[in-house]
Amino acid sequence: MIDDLLNDFLAETAEILAEAGGALVAWEADPADRAQLDAIFRLVHTIKGSSGFLSLPRVTALSHAAEDALDQVRRGNRPANAALVTAVLAIIDRLSGLCTALGNSGTEPQGDDGDVIGALALVDETPTAVAAAPAETTEEDINTDLLQSWRSIRVPLPLLDSVMTGVTDIVLARNEFARMLRESGAEASVIASFDRLSDSIAGMRQSVSQMRMQRIDKLFAPLPRIVRDLAQDLGKKIRFSTSGGEVELDREMMENIRDPLIHIVRNAIDHGIEPLDERVAAGKGVTANIAVSARQSGNQIEIEVRDDGRGLSPDALVAKALSARIVGAAEAKALTPREKLELIFRPGFSTAAKITAISGRGVGMDIVKANLEKIGGVVELRNDEGRGLSIVLRVPMTLTIISGLMVRASGQYFAIPRGSVREILLETSDSVRIDRVGGGELVTVRGEQFPLLRLEQLLGGEIDASEDCDDRAIILIRPGQGMSYALSVAAIHDHEELVIKPAAPMIMATGLYAGTTLPDNGRPVLLLDVQGLLAAAGVDASEAGRLSDANAEAAAEAAAARDAVQLLLFREAGGRTRGVRLSVIERVEEVPATALFESAGAVQVRIGETIFPVHAGRVPEGGGAVKLLRLYDGRSVLCYRIDAVIDIVRLPDAVQPAAQPGLIAGVAIVGGEPVELIDPFWLMAQYEAGAAGPDQRQPLCRLANDADGWASNFLAPILRGAGYRVIGGDEASEERPDVQLCLTGAAAGPIAADVPLVRLRTSPAAAGPEDDSIYRYDRAALLEALRKQVAGGRP
Amino acid sequence: MMEKLYLIARIADTRVALRSRAINSVVTVGTPVHVPAAPPHVAGLFALRSRVFTLIDPHVVIGLPPVPVAPGQRVIVVDVAEHGYALLADAIEDVCFIEAPETRVAGKLLPGWARVADAMIEHEGHSLLVVDPSHFVTLPVAKAA
Repeated sequence: MIDDLLNDFLAETAEILAEAGGALVAWEADPADRAQLDAIFRLVHTIKGSSGFLSLPRVTALSHAAEDALDQVRRGNRPANAALVTAVLAIIDRLSGLCTALGNSGTEPQGDDGDVIGALALVDETPTAVAAAPAETTEEDINTDLLQSWRSIRVPLPLLDSVMTGVTDIVLARNEFARMLRESGAEASVIASFDRLSDSIAGMRQSVSQMRMQRIDKLFAPLPRIVRDLAQDLGKKIRFSTSGGEVELDREMMENIRDPLIHIVRNAIDHGIEPLDERVAAGKGVTANIAVSARQSGNQIEIEVRDDGRGLSPDALVAKALSARIVGAAEAKALTPREKLELIFRPGFSTAAKITAISGRGVGMDIVKANLEKIGGVVELRNDEGRGLSIVLRVPMTLTIISGLMVRASGQYFAIPRGSVREILLETSDSVRIDRVGGGELVTVRGEQFPLLRLEQLLGGEIDASEDCDDRAIILIRPGQGMSYALSVAAIHDHEELVIKPAAPMIMATGLYAGTTLPDNGRPVLLLDVQGLLAAAGVDASEAGRLSDANAEAAAEAAAARDAVQLLLFREAGGRTRGVRLSVIERVEEVPATALFESAGAVQVRIGETIFPVHAGRVPEGGGAVKLLRLYDGRSVLCYRIDAVIDIVRLPDAVQPAAQPGLIAGVAIVGGEPVELIDPFWLMAQYEAGAAGPDQRQPLCRLANDADGWASNFLAPILRGAGYRVIGGDEASEERPDVQLCLTGAAAGPIAADVPLVRLRTSPAAAGPEDDSIYRYDRAALLEALRKQVAGGRP
Repeated sequence: MMEKLYLIARIADTRVALRSRAINSVVTVGTPVHVPAAPPHVAGLFALRSRVFTLIDPHVVIGLPPVPVAPGQRVIVVDVAEHGYALLADAIEDVCFIEAPETRVAGKLLPGWARVADAMIEHEGHSLLVVDPSHFVTLPVAKAA
């Protein structure tokens, strides 16, 4: 009986102490916060009360001393200062120690607490103005508060777990029963009452899951104290805040992220936050911020630790990894910026310039990552070099029920944890290339190579020829950080929420399976161990070695993409998909429908102070917004009404031209669908009637040098807009140019001696009095100079 | 009383007596789900009352070639180390009290049977092997076959 009471007391006290630590630190930051002080007082008061009942004299004396001191503050007889908080924290530490000893031995150890109690009395020496208002709360009020806040009971965890297991079994039994009912063709009334049962089981499962849920602020409770102590040790000033404490998480998951979270917070204080002088030099406030926040997104919980310290320096990380021989020079060169950051997850990596007592203990982010991955979570870095780092932990809400992807191989179904699936493709897809190399297979997906494993072969079977081999699927699997492979299966079935149970030991011993599950159809399904499959195949799935190839291919692809013409796909108001060359689009405009009006039989739009023609049969009816593509030919604008922009794709090489010139230039196949391509030339011509006739002679301007493409990209449209024809320096022309432009400073191309020359410079200021060049962005001066030269050069 | 209660069954072509306290139930199974790459004595998985059971083929444990599982075949369900297993039985004969005491195994058995047999017992004029079902599950499987 006494043991039960003692256990309850210890469990309750451990919670209270954790909470009190956090509350004290918050109160220290804002001594005027009366509510915080009352809360601490109540907590200490509770410990004193329960300990008296259990006759634990040391605990009673300690809590009494703290209560006394806090009461003095509440009554306004004593100031709240850092020294007092430190003294109360010392008492709380001593209480924690006593409780641990009590838990181990069952009796209160002998000892003297005069030191910490005395320290509490000593800090009283400099009475100053008192922050807290005199107390009016009486003891009775406090007790009523307590009763209200403790209306809950304690349940041993094994009992909770067994309830959870029981409910899981009920759910499975319900699934089986549902199947039998379906097969037996039961009466509607039977099915109706089964559905009712089914609903209440679902409700019960929900409640039981909630029973296992705990508010995440339990996890946050010890953090303020850790931050305070560490900041004091390191001489840093830190404002610590938490948010989203009401988010709930399965207690088992909570256990698994407690240590990683504390580690990340300590890291942030030790490595992330700069020393005071560095912060000042960087123009930041002296007080640094660390914020821990939690939020739920779907059935995942995101916990973010954000600091406004120096962030991670990718180059410093690489240098460090090189000196620690974690990467070779060749590999280091090939790392992408993201991969550079992720070096901190490599075993043996420590970001501190020197190992400190605080966080550089050789165990680091690799352990954090491993712990998270063990429970199906991931760690993400969001780095803002110089301004801070935020680390996001993303974990599933519960362990036993996972989202699984059902696949088929050898005529049998298997489940794959959805969390490790990166992408699903068909083997016949255009973006997939399969190569047989020296007896092995590899698949290239958009320039990235993966070892290809066939599930049937991994499982020791043959690929069944009777199954559809044509549309086999490839699943890109990422079993862990920096590893990936492709798994080929006969077919993908569907996604299901699966209750996972361990399989028999001799089945687990194969290393291929992570457990069994029983979907609704009543046939057991094996959950594949995505890491075990890799081990069984004996394939090196590390992404590191493949980087250079992938980079080279990616670079080649990027180059090809640059050369290719890009096509903007959009949906017409009529629902039809059409495309137009991206280069003729100035921008996409969204205007209220009221901006469109009809004038002289043509639809026009007012955008700002300008009126543009719109290619539309009539003014659209109704209000709302209208999306317009602004086509620009360097001179005039035409708006084209669309419903929505769909995508930007590469213009296919093959375009079937239209028979007649008109709005549609031709048809191309994009993503398997025919897409009509708009002819901007024809469109513009419709609205340009009355503009300068094509037979009028336009002066020819030659760009003598254009090494970096500036002249053709920036200058040529302006020139064309101003009525010039433009040719490049190396284009042969039978006609003598009227004028030529030359960029000073760039490598000069051949300059024709008998053509007037205008020189452009890149700096706004002239080099000297005899410098007659023109600043290249001075449009007016440039056009004026050209006009003079053309006029002067002509007889 | 329970100690004297035995299940008489034909397992791996041999009549044996199984101590009833080791046995959970006797049920029939449909087609089990094959477990690729599992040890040869694992005949598959099947679901019973929303639990997944591992089906064991005693023939393989004894050193005989495996037998196919016929739908409707009876199996002996046992729990070993908190996992559910089922032994394929050629036939289930009877559940009965045997008053005779268990005796030491006399004579030389085949190596496969020697591993799983605990004792012998006299029943209706025949000597039966008393086997412990858990031995079929936990014993290392003969490498031969």
